[in-house]
Amino acid sequence: MTGHHDIGAIRARLASGDGPSFWRSLDAVADTAEFRSYLEAEFPAAARLAAAPERRGFLKLMAASFALAGLSACDSGDGRHNELPYVNAPERIVPGAPLSYASSALFDGFANGILVTTRNGRPLKIEGNPDHPWSRGGTDILAQASVLGLYDPFRSQAVQHIGRPSSWAAFQGAMLAQMPVWQAKGGEGLALLTGPVTSPSLQAEIARMRETYPAMRWYVSAGVARDSLYDGAKRAFGRPVETLLDFTSARTIVALDGDILDLGPGQVGLSRRWSEARKASYAAGHLLTLHAAAATPTLTSAKADYAVAVPGARMEALARDLLSLAEGGSASSADGASEAWLKRAFAALNEARGAGIVTAGLCGSPELHALVHRLNGALGNAGTTVRHTAPAQAIGAGALRDLSTAMAEGSVETLIVLGVNPVYEAPGALGFAQAMERVPLKIHTGLYYDETAAHSDWHLPLAHPLESWGDARSLDGTVSLVQPTVAPLYNGRSANEMLAFLDRGTIANGLDLLKRQMRGGSEDDTAFQARFEDALRSGFLPDSAAKPETMALTASGPAPTVAPSSDDAIEVVFRPDPTVWDGTLADLGWLQELPKPLTKIVWENVVGISPKLAERRSLANGDIVRIAADGHAIEGPAWITPGQAENTVSLSLGYGRDVPDHLSRGLGYDANALRPAMDPWLLAGATLEKTGRRRLPATTQDLGTMEGMDLVRVQRQGAEPVGDTKAYELASFYPKPAAAGRGATAAWAMAIDLDACIGCNACITACQSENNIPVVGREEVERGRWMGWLRVDRYYAGDLDAPDTHFQPVPCMHCENAPCEVGCPVEATLHDSEGLNLQVYNRCVGTRTCQSYCPYKVRRFNYLDYTGDMPAVAQQQRNPDVTVRARGVMEKCTYCVQRIAAARIDSAKDAHAPIPDGTVETACQGACPTRAITFGNLSDPESQVNKARGDGRNYALLGDLNTRPRTTYLASLAPAAREG
Amino acid sequence: MAQLFSPGADAIYRLALLTGVACLAGIPIVAAGIVRSDYVTGVGIAPAQPVPFSHKHHSGELGVDCRYCHTTVETQATAGIPPTHTCMTCHSQIWTGSDMLKPVRDSFARDEPLQWVRLNKLPSYVYYNHSVHVTKGIGCSTCHGDVTSMQMTYRANAFEMQFCLDCHRDPAKYVRPQDQVWNMTWKPPANQATLGPELVAKNHIQGGERLTECAICHR
Repeated sequence: MTGHHDIGAIRARLASGDGPSFWRSLDAVADTAEFRSYLEAEFPAAARLAAAPERRGFLKLMAASFALAGLSACDSGDGRHNELPYVNAPERIVPGAPLSYASSALFDGFANGILVTTRNGRPLKIEGNPDHPWSRGGTDILAQASVLGLYDPFRSQAVQHIGRPSSWAAFQGAMLAQMPVWQAKGGEGLALLTGPVTSPSLQAEIARMRETYPAMRWYVSAGVARDSLYDGAKRAFGRPVETLLDFTSARTIVALDGDILDLGPGQVGLSRRWSEARKASYAAGHLLTLHAAAATPTLTSAKADYAVAVPGARMEALARDLLSLAEGGSASSADGASEAWLKRAFAALNEARGAGIVTAGLCGSPELHALVHRLNGALGNAGTTVRHTAPAQAIGAGALRDLSTAMAEGSVETLIVLGVNPVYEAPGALGFAQAMERVPLKIHTGLYYDETAAHSDWHLPLAHPLESWGDARSLDGTVSLVQPTVAPLYNGRSANEMLAFLDRGTIANGLDLLKRQMRGGSEDDTAFQARFEDALRSGFLPDSAAKPETMALTASGPAPTVAPSSDDAIEVVFRPDPTVWDGTLADLGWLQELPKPLTKIVWENVVGISPKLAERRSLANGDIVRIAADGHAIEGPAWITPGQAENTVSLSLGYGRDVPDHLSRGLGYDANALRPAMDPWLLAGATLEKTGRRRLPATTQDLGTMEGMDLVRVQRQGAEPVGDTKAYELASFYPKPAAAGRGATAAWAMAIDLDACIGCNACITACQSENNIPVVGREEVERGRWMGWLRVDRYYAGDLDAPDTHFQPVPCMHCENAPCEVGCPVEATLHDSEGLNLQVYNRCVGTRTCQSYCPYKVRRFNYLDYTGDMPAVAQQQRNPDVTVRARGVMEKCTYCVQRIAAARIDSAKDAHAPIPDGTVETACQGACPTRAITFGNLSDPESQVNKARGDGRNYALLGDLNTRPRTTYLASLAPAAREG
Repeated sequence: MAQLFSPGADAIYRLALLTGVACLAGIPIVAAGIVRSDYVTGVGIAPAQPVPFSHKHHSGELGVDCRYCHTTVETQATAGIPPTHTCMTCHSQIWTGSDMLKPVRDSFARDEPLQWVRLNKLPSYVYYNHSVHVTKGIGCSTCHGDVTSMQMTYRANAFEMQFCLDCHRDPAKYVRPQDQVWNMTWKPPANQATLGPELVAKNHIQGGERLTECAICHR
């Protein structure tokens, strides 16, 4: 597709009602001949091959494939010639049997409870820890991908001194010579730079180090810092606090650039609580509505019942209007769409005084946060639905810009960088790299030999969280433990161990440091050991969450005057990337190939522009634009983003990395170059120019386009049920599921709640991790060869400038009357008696007929050998229970048949005792932070999935085709009537 | 002018033609024979092992139970290869100076595993579970042969799909009473035709086509 659109025509088509009511891309709305042929080609990739019949190329290909076919017949070197037993079998490890450890996934220093499934001593899969009080069994994409991070071949594997391989011994020697110098000066000139610290043991280690070196300065750097949040609290309350939202009694939520559902340290816990409250409120007859104002669409604004696009610079004015209304005044600055939104949002808040929530996100300004605190105070929400606790993050460190200044002044003699990458993360205006040149001794510890490592004298490999002992706090303050699941692959040390060495000059063991931290004063050895082991088993310290505190608002200052912006001025908002976040984990292929929730773009970041701006400046998707301000500029492909504020351009962080030979090199642009030093999220007065060059980003938004009616359904509160079970009343030869009981045949089925789905993609990453799904690369995705078994379709509905957004995860439907099975000439896809639509890889000959017969487009074909040349270390992550597919075979979602088989074998050994509901959990279901997916046995009348199917919202996708899908959907929810 | 072709030329020509056709027809037959031969499947061939361990001596003559070494056969997918420690439970006391056992002592002393040559191997897309088979009354020797008679261990059966399906289509032919599972010399008794179906029912072995469904073994 070209990406060129006549936006006026698209808008007219949507307004006239001729266009689709739910649409995925501008191409689909424009319904061009090109888009039609894309759909008809079925396999865009095959079409391209067929379209270029070049004889020589064809013969070469054939010769190569014959030669390879001959080679593949030889089955000698599969590495299984020998069997190596243990010399002494370790306790607890049973070869081949899975074993889980409770630990924590760290997100910018904040913890979510996880269970790490290991096998033969290798961590393979991350599951949520259902007992963890904050995350309660959910996970996010970064937690799921952390297991790939452990085996990442790009990880730093050795100590390096001035870019040359060195050793820990050499480093220790050098430091032992240095430490007396630091001590003599009392730490003067010593600077420690860490990421956000929530870990009590690391905090203690830093405190100890500050005792040894009293004049040492401590700074914190983060690509996505929480500074504005804490600064805002300081303005409102006089001291920094963490804000926790209690949705259970809430009746309405107003998010001003809010991020309650977006990727971040709070996503897992907040989205779970939100979806539960929403479901409960719907059942009680008053839907918990979400009003969102955002400069650029986010998951929070996408899930909002009432969303409005407001420029980032106007967000504070909007909050001030709300505050003035709440205090009985009047709104002054709103206009047009935002005025209607403001009225409605305020009416909802006013009606729910004491039971409303106003929230702002990490990217809001300190002033916005302060205003939000005042609003919650004025509306009586503080203390009921909005609670304040002491910050989970350690406060008191200097900011990165102070460090930059100190270095430029030459007052830093030794810089110790612990697990962060300031050279990349620092806003361009700081000139951090140049300032760092003035520091005589620079020591960098990190998982990767990154930009900062390249500027340092010493680089030391950091141990991965899956290899180290430690602890961290969750957003609610719960202390969670981190325990190693494998010995360090590359002799890395943990942050605690590093600091202990720099402090005392001795090599400490992470376990001892953790125990020392947790040990109470009067506790005896046995009591402590028992308590410690209990905590390790559960993964957290019980009742360690921070207690809510009552905060008093300080007097507010006068409202600043806002300079009116001209129509031509472009405002730039910076946002963390929804898949690679701040770029720390940009080398992970799973995250790079994960379609961004809203744009569905992979392998790069784009410049998000509004449809109106595109129309005015005649920009098309893929036009390379230059965004410039204050002498800095970046260039990236434009992407028309429905729902974006008109003159706002959105840039995302995490790309433009520059580390030689790494996966992330050369992908996207580096937005940090443009970031202002003072306000890291907003830049006013930028210019946008068309460069005249074009390059379409790879996107999956039209991949698997289905043709039919009612793909997404919306259930309004109080309206007639939109679900239907008609699909199941059509005639079928398929036998009805048998009743439950010992030995009864199971009938597996899945139900997906579209209202609970927030589009976070955790399911896709979990599926990738569980089912050995390969990463194929940008070019292959462009050819339509994205391999994910589960895709999350994003649909827009309504107006181009302010659309409703819906997410729909689409795995294999496991149709009872599966069209794919009719097409297969070799019976490689067929049903079993439990209703699973099986794919037999060793039978498949790759005709791809099944995919062309599949109305849901959920099958994926291995055009090339995507798995054979994977680095050996990355192959360690593979799930031994799932076949690694070869070139030329079709694959698709199996409902995690390996997990079903494990439960079935256990039941078979027990005389076919019924498998209890909930025993089999698919990978996607387990990962989902909002529990949108239910899976179970239809022949068990008490099963959760049976209950979900009985819901009035339940409907089958394309049910009128009489495919009788086993996967069904629960319609999305909407408030009763939509006035104004 | 002399005759170009001798009187026998036609016969030679026909013979050559026939031979050609016979060879062509023979190629698949010979090829099929070769791939099924023990040379290719490895059946009956005992490879050299780091230690010439004799199942016949240990299990057959001394009567060591299978599960003494293959500890996880009743609970896990794999039966388990014993750690060196298991060998040393006895061989730290008897035959402590034997040359034959030197690799075992070395392995124990140096903490380096013994490298046994693998005998039984399934393709990587086949998932076999020992525990469910022995629980349901399928004995070791049905697949592994009479190991107690093997001086050096060899592969008793070529684990091709045909072999698995033979039993999965009709388990009644092979199922044994639970106390016979570990009996390496078990032969189907004369009344297997009546005993088999009884055991199938008693052990809750699923019948019909359930056991030949693809996902039973392929995932």
